[in-house]
Amino acid sequence: MGKTILVVDDSASLRQVVNLTLQSAGYEVIEACDGKDALAKLDGKKVHLIISDVNMPNMDGISLVKEVKKHPSYKFTPIIMLTTEAGENRKQEGQAAGAKAWVVKPFQPQQMLAAVSKLVM
Amino acid sequence: MNIDAARNTFFEEAQELLRQMEEILLAFEAQSSGEEAVNALFRAAHTIKGSAGLFGFEGVVGFTHVVESVLDRLRGGAIRCGEELTSLLLDSGDHIGTLLAAAAADAAPDDAALRRGRELTGRLASHLPPSAQTPLAAVNPPEPEAALAVSGGGPLGGVDTWHLSLRFGAEVLRMGMEPLAFIRYLTTLGDIVHLETLSEALPPIESFDPEACYLGFEIDLRSAASRQEIEAVFEFVRDDARIRIVPPHAKAGEYIDLIRSLPEEAVRVGEILIGAGALTRHELERALQAQAADAGGRRLGEILCDKGVVQAPVVEAALDKQKRSEEKRALEARSVKVPADKLDLLIDLVGELVIAGAGTQLLAGRTHRSELIESASQVARLVEEVRDAALRLRMVQIGEVFGRFPRVVRDVSRELGKDIELKLSGAETELDKSMVERLGDPLMHLLRNAMDHGLEPAAERLARGKPARGTVSLAARHESGSIVIEVRDDGRGLDRERILKKAVERGLVQESQSLEDGEVWRLILQPGFSTAETVTNLSGRGVGMDVVKSSIEALRGTLDIESRPGEGTCMRLTLPLTLAIIDGFLVGVGGAQFVLPLEMVVECIELPAGDGADGRDYLDLRGRVLPFLRLRELFEVPQPAPRRQNVVVVSHGGRQAGLAVDCLMGGCQTVIKPLGVLFEKLRGIAGSTILASGEVGLILDVPQLVQLATGREANRLGGAARQRALQS
Repeated sequence: MGKTILVVDDSASLRQVVNLTLQSAGYEVIEACDGKDALAKLDGKKVHLIISDVNMPNMDGISLVKEVKKHPSYKFTPIIMLTTEAGENRKQEGQAAGAKAWVVKPFQPQQMLAAVSKLVM
Repeated sequence: MNIDAARNTFFEEAQELLRQMEEILLAFEAQSSGEEAVNALFRAAHTIKGSAGLFGFEGVVGFTHVVESVLDRLRGGAIRCGEELTSLLLDSGDHIGTLLAAAAADAAPDDAALRRGRELTGRLASHLPPSAQTPLAAVNPPEPEAALAVSGGGPLGGVDTWHLSLRFGAEVLRMGMEPLAFIRYLTTLGDIVHLETLSEALPPIESFDPEACYLGFEIDLRSAASRQEIEAVFEFVRDDARIRIVPPHAKAGEYIDLIRSLPEEAVRVGEILIGAGALTRHELERALQAQAADAGGRRLGEILCDKGVVQAPVVEAALDKQKRSEEKRALEARSVKVPADKLDLLIDLVGELVIAGAGTQLLAGRTHRSELIESASQVARLVEEVRDAALRLRMVQIGEVFGRFPRVVRDVSRELGKDIELKLSGAETELDKSMVERLGDPLMHLLRNAMDHGLEPAAERLARGKPARGTVSLAARHESGSIVIEVRDDGRGLDRERILKKAVERGLVQESQSLEDGEVWRLILQPGFSTAETVTNLSGRGVGMDVVKSSIEALRGTLDIESRPGEGTCMRLTLPLTLAIIDGFLVGVGGAQFVLPLEMVVECIELPAGDGADGRDYLDLRGRVLPFLRLRELFEVPQPAPRRQNVVVVSHGGRQAGLAVDCLMGGCQTVIKPLGVLFEKLRGIAGSTILASGEVGLILDVPQLVQLATGREANRLGGAARQRALQS
């Protein structure tokens, strides 16, 4: 059975691209449009990896990381943060919260897959 | 100074020597060999070996040493040069060429060349007595892998096996980082041939945190991936883990080759290593942080080596590269390359300008018009400055030659097991470029002789109450129109008895002859003279000194030897500056005019009436005997001597002599024009010049005249020994 990845981003188009890329590599993908939505999707089913944007309405990526780390079932789940070059200052904040894997947008599909496989292979 | 330039010179020179060897060998095939031809053959091999050693081309040295040994036996008549040996020597010459080409390309000789070397060495060895056969291992250059294995770090598997040391931080699991995932991902890059899990960090069960990671891994990974690719696997954990990547041994050579082939742009060691792939940017940043935090002020290279990130030879290659890049930049920024013939043309023209200027000044003087005279003298002054500037263009510092010696001394002192210090002084002394190029070899011979034969082993030195560390000094300075270079050692000094014994053996002197020290020392300059009891790789075949002597003579220089038993030896080279233009001193004898180099003129006195009237050739100069020559007699000037004559006192090599002339005409700018082939052998004349008046003046060869005057005087006094010394 393929591994399940939760993709959190407020941009539908980006979610779509990531979704297609991951599915073509054999992963199952769950989509969420912001932090709140994501936490709602973490309902006990096995999620191997979370890919999340930083800037999102309702609940941003960093708050999501903090919440996930508190969640007994998901606290060991690896998280890849998507950021832009301009978001460097938030990276510090995110790393302190426990998100170590950062991928800078825009990225090539291959790049995303490599990052994913390093964490969940 | 530029080591690259010196290297290039060596390669050119070696090619020329190989070509000569080939010519001689081919002549052997045509007819039987002359003794001189064998000597020349031997000297060529000797020179190639010596210079190659200088640049650390061990492969060339090792092989050429075997060839040289065979040629030495040939020279000594122990073996004969048949067709088989001739063709073997021709092949050997070609092989030396191959080794040189590899050295020139900074590459190790390829397998075929190494095989050929072993084969030739074996064949050459059959011409040597069994005891003299050098073991093959010493002759063939070490395999590159073996050479690097010494300094490589980490427990290593095969040649393409990377070694990874991973120590995960306790927090990684809580970060969502799974060590196993990274290890699995590694398998996409290659095969994990060995994996060891380190569990020493596991705490006792009561303090064990199930969410923490305590594990470390030692992994051998067989992979063709680059260092960057491997490091990227751990990009997400590198802040929370200690990761050390040790490249395969084979990589070190690869990195070194890459470093050498990089364009000479990067000037920072770290950038060079990154450029070659030997270091990743992240590793560099870590090392730079470590360096910033390091109180000892260690160099980046040391830190990288200590951490085992990069092998020492790779760092060295990068440092070397950095130095070359810097040198190249500095050179590009500061100098313009000009072909030598353009410079020569300029100097020729300036020479003509000097003559024409002097002529103008003379004519202006005759008009008695002060403005014209003033203007002409101003022009003359400027021309003089132009002359000086033009001549300086061709002058280079002798440091260019000196620069290669510290390395030689270091290598030789290791080879001989002697502790030797080299002192250099006067490296800034300037002389003509053409001279500098031709001084390297003779100086190297002298230096090597001083280290090999001059300096005693440490134990012997201590027994004599000398410091264990021997000193060899190389000093250059200007001295009255010449450049003097001294190679001095504080060793045991020349052994008078042994030299004499050897000289008698070789029939150079009679046993009954009594010789002064100076004459004994000069014996060592005879061809084939060597007192060393053992033949070393360095010297001691008796080829050095006669080669040195003839190359110094070819530069119109002299070689003097001073030695005191137990205190050391000093070899003093005195060389002309070979300037195209000199400050001259014009004198007249009858209708003829002669020019003396002004630097050699000490003073002028009037020839005391009556002195020398009885045919004596010496006079009393303030209580000292001054031998003198009458130029009128010497050059057979027809006009009778005037009532009053003058004596110009000249000095060369510490000796003074007088030259009796009719009149003193003062200083003048003199452009040296060489004499034609017909007049080359003329004694006492060094060249000619066109005087301001348009007449031809002859330039006197003061060193020769001084020798002639003092020799004559000695002869008159019956000093037969002294005369012999002067003739030899």
